[in-house]
Amino acid sequence: MECVVQGIIETQHVEALEILLQGLCGVHKERLRIHEICLKSGPNLGEFMYVYFFLICLKSGPNLGAVASEVRLLCDLEQPEPTWTVRHIGGAMRGAGAEQISVLVRTMVESKVSKNVLRLFYALGYKLDHELLRVGFAFHFQRGAQITVTVSSVNKMLKLHATDEAVPVTPGIQMVEVTAPASAENYTEVVSAVSSFCEYLAPLLHLSKPGISTGVVPTAAAAAASLMSDGGGTTL
Amino acid sequence: MPLKWVLHWQPNAGSTVNSQILSEVSQCVESINGLKQGRWKATLTLYKPHTRVPEPSMAAEFPRDFLGVSVPEQPNKYYFIIRGQRIVLEADSSIQTIMEKLQSYKTRIALNFDGFQYQLGDFQLRVGKVSPTHSENLRGIVMEVEYLPISSMEKARQIMGEFLEIWQEAVSKRSLPGQFMHIEPNFAEYGLADHYTSQHTAVQYAIVMAQLIATVQAVQSVRN
Repeated sequence: MECVVQGIIETQHVEALEILLQGLCGVHKERLRIHEICLKSGPNLGEFMYVYFFLICLKSGPNLGAVASEVRLLCDLEQPEPTWTVRHIGGAMRGAGAEQISVLVRTMVESKVSKNVLRLFYALGYKLDHELLRVGFAFHFQRGAQITVTVSSVNKMLKLHATDEAVPVTPGIQMVEVTAPASAENYTEVVSAVSSFCEYLAPLLHLSKPGISTGVVPTAAAAAASLMSDGGGTTL
Repeated sequence: MPLKWVLHWQPNAGSTVNSQILSEVSQCVESINGLKQGRWKATLTLYKPHTRVPEPSMAAEFPRDFLGVSVPEQPNKYYFIIRGQRIVLEADSSIQTIMEKLQSYKTRIALNFDGFQYQLGDFQLRVGKVSPTHSENLRGIVMEVEYLPISSMEKARQIMGEFLEIWQEAVSKRSLPGQFMHIEPNFAEYGLADHYTSQHTAVQYAIVMAQLIATVQAVQSVRN
């Protein structure tokens, strides 16, 4: 499982965010350059979801494929020899308790794999859905949980796998993601740690559950100016 | 890592594998001063696609020889092999959880390879029975021969050949109805180099699996 929140920030304030994060985390940033390939199973492959199937049949007739399963292949281009990881993001935790917290708790499983993983999934019948290039930086640190903050621009490829010719999906805007691994036993503590940490970033950006966009915050410009002027001397 | 050859027991025509043969093979290792060290285990899973239309019509679209292997020397790793397309993938063992969650392939056959490990000078031997995961039925016998000082397949070829000659001679004295076979895959086709890795082991297990299936099918066709 993992706890996750996301937000966006204007590129002009990213330097200020970096100074703030540096002061908060006390560790050096790591450069980030990830080629993300999203694959989906073909129409004939995958578990049949009978209830869903039945409901759709009522509306549109029985001509429905199995529900596609989705998997992400991440290639870390920052390493001297690119490394590959398979990531599966599962469903979010549900229920009244999950609604009330400001952090999304979801299943997530990763596995490091050898470099021929794309060929394997194509052979298994998976198809390319989309691909992205994330470029930015990350901080990894311990603060009540093992927290990772990534700040990156999301780029799309104009040609298949052409990472050198990627262009921003949203020019002038970068994505910020805060994640922390959790388990069924400790997720409440991890949620609390992530929420507390996010409060420190509030003047610059607002973080919320993925899919719930809250836009840029009006105080960002003033907060960024303040951070830039005192050189990130603020510590906790 | 040290290289190894994985061999399988090939019964003579008309005969089948049984636990008496396994017992005799184990005694044979001890008779040539093999020092019993402990147990070992590998697993092999043959997957089939979860399709919404009848599987035969999907034959061209999905691989029928998609295998998952865990090997004793790398307990935290898992290997996928598609023999027809010469693909071998190394992954953290959590890849099994991902495959379960994807629900696109399910287990067709799951086999355990387990038995005892022996030390014989610079050689390490693992003799084991092949049985379905939830049963004790003997489906085959495998033997791993590992030569500890060398990692190059090519450099070790001669000494491995010589060891097997001595071994086959020792086994032949017991007049068992079959013999151990070694089929060396073309590792280069899988993108594997001369320096031995666990991916080489996984590919060898895929070959052994194919041989076991062929043997079972041959016996069934004789019976029919």
